[in-house]
Amino acid sequence: MSDAAPMVLVSRVSQTFRRADGQKVRAVDDVSVQIPEGQFVCLLGPSGCGKTTLLQMVAGLLAPTQGEIRVAGQCVRGPAPERGMVFQKDSVFPWMRVIDNVEFGLKCRGVAKPERQAIARRYLAMVGLAAVERAWPRELSGGMLKRVAIATVFANGAAVLLLDEPFGALDYVTKRQLHDVLLTLWGAGASGGRRTVLFVTHDVDEALLLADRILVVHSGRIVDDMAIPAPRPRNSDSLLLPAMVANKHRLLAHLGLEVAPAVPVLAQ
Amino acid sequence: MAGAMRWARFDPLGMLGIMAMLLIWAAMTRVLPPSSLPGPLSVGLRLGQDFFAAPELSFYGLPDASLSGSMIYTAENVLVALGVGAGVGIAAGLLTARSATLRALIDPVLMTAGTIPILVLAPFFLIWFGVGRASSVLLVALYVSVMLYVFAQRAASGLDPVFEQSARTLGADRQRILIDVLLPSTIPQILGGIRIALAGCWGLEAIAELLGAQYGVGKIIEVLAGATDVQGILAALVLLGVVAVLFDAGAALATRRLARWSVTTQIGHER
Ligand SMILES: Nc1ncnc2c1ncn2[C@@H]1O[C@H](COP(=O)(O)OP(=O)(O)OP(=O)(O)O)[C@@H](O)[C@H]1O
Ligand SMILES: [Mg+2]
Repeated sequence: MSDAAPMVLVSRVSQTFRRADGQKVRAVDDVSVQIPEGQFVCLLGPSGCGKTTLLQMVAGLLAPTQGEIRVAGQCVRGPAPERGMVFQKDSVFPWMRVIDNVEFGLKCRGVAKPERQAIARRYLAMVGLAAVERAWPRELSGGMLKRVAIATVFANGAAVLLLDEPFGALDYVTKRQLHDVLLTLWGAGASGGRRTVLFVTHDVDEALLLADRILVVHSGRIVDDMAIPAPRPRNSDSLLLPAMVANKHRLLAHLGLEVAPAVPVLAQ
Repeated sequence: MAGAMRWARFDPLGMLGIMAMLLIWAAMTRVLPPSSLPGPLSVGLRLGQDFFAAPELSFYGLPDASLSGSMIYTAENVLVALGVGAGVGIAAGLLTARSATLRALIDPVLMTAGTIPILVLAPFFLIWFGVGRASSVLLVALYVSVMLYVFAQRAASGLDPVFEQSARTLGADRQRILIDVLLPSTIPQILGGIRIALAGCWGLEAIAELLGAQYGVGKIIEVLAGATDVQGILAALVLLGVVAVLFDAGAALATRRLARWSVTTQIGHER
């Protein structure tokens, strides 16, 4: 991996917002990070630290004020289907039936109806929603809507997936079920390989269960970069491994919930 | 006619209101002389009589005079005006909701045009476009377009940006976003606007005809008013009202079908 170009390359990226009252907010502050292909990366940090802003810049929805982002070697200039995003808010189109939502990206790329329908059905089955393909989104629960959103970006074949607190508003049980769904989809990449995932979360346990690597964000900066080498599949026992417990303490300290004597902070 | 049936079935209070109005009308004819207020029955008979051919009207110099023919002329104009006005208004409304420059350019023009009273505007249209269909159609289309401009713009401005962002990350271009995001998401509000515009259209078209036209229900009313034929005027008004109600029922049905996804009376979760 080390000699190949990284899948996502963020170099010295900043984003400054000017609020309506004229005050400037540096939402992302000189961030650099390299993410190899197939890595599952969790971005963890307190509310308002710039996670969504960073993700939107990788998605191409927001141009960096400074710096450059490259995905698969190409400079990001706008949104593209190879970078799929699941938004913090519900983004499933209420005016399309479930299956039409999942087909939407394929339709944009001109995939013929029977083919895209078959692809959409396959992904709906993988997220356990085969039975409701003809339903309207208003007829689904919050967790089901998130599954539709996930099926939509996976069906679109994106190489990089940007997931912005996709399970933030869900109950514990639904969340754990969707983790399994997500990891299954992650393992079943379009071309056999794994897709690259950037997953934003507030939830320490969620990050530890899912991630190969956790980036801790604070005030627009990446303040820690931790590898999580625990074997997969992980379950609640995995969280009891000594290395995991140590990592958890380190993360909680970053979030200001625990006082840890020596938290190594990355020099930027 | 299924729409009318449905409308009647869903609106028992409306039927009650109509009955009450007819009763009051009938009661008032006891006080007022038939020359100033003829009874509902006589107006109904007159409506039937004049429906296919109205010799009295041709006597006043109206060519091809019958209530049905005039009503069709008026209805055609209303539908064309609605189509043209809605097309222009919706397109302009959606565009300006997404482009601040266009909005700054178009907003003042359309808003000013919309506030000019029809009595002020009509003479100009008659001078520019003559006394044919074009005048009244364009006049009504203008008001329709202003109304739908406002409705479409408000609907598109109120749409959560997350839907367009999501569409863009899935690979949608501008045209696809217009067709699959902007239009369908705003259609419930736009259809509501079309219904309101349609309701206003009948009166506007009648006034436009009244002010200068050769045909139409408005023209008939103008001629009969000159002859103080109250019975004939009421017959024409009743027909206009019935047609307007039928069209509204049709529009309501279309709204219900096209905005199915946003209907709030819900079935439960399916799993
Ligand atoms: N469009 C904007 N205009 C002005 N300020 C903004 C804008 N978007 C974000 N910000 C500011 O940038 C900072 C980072 O916001 P961001 O949404 O990236 O946080 P976040 O880490 O995703 O938070 P959360 O976990 O609560 O979603 C915040 O201080 C926010 O107020
Ligand atoms: Mg956020």
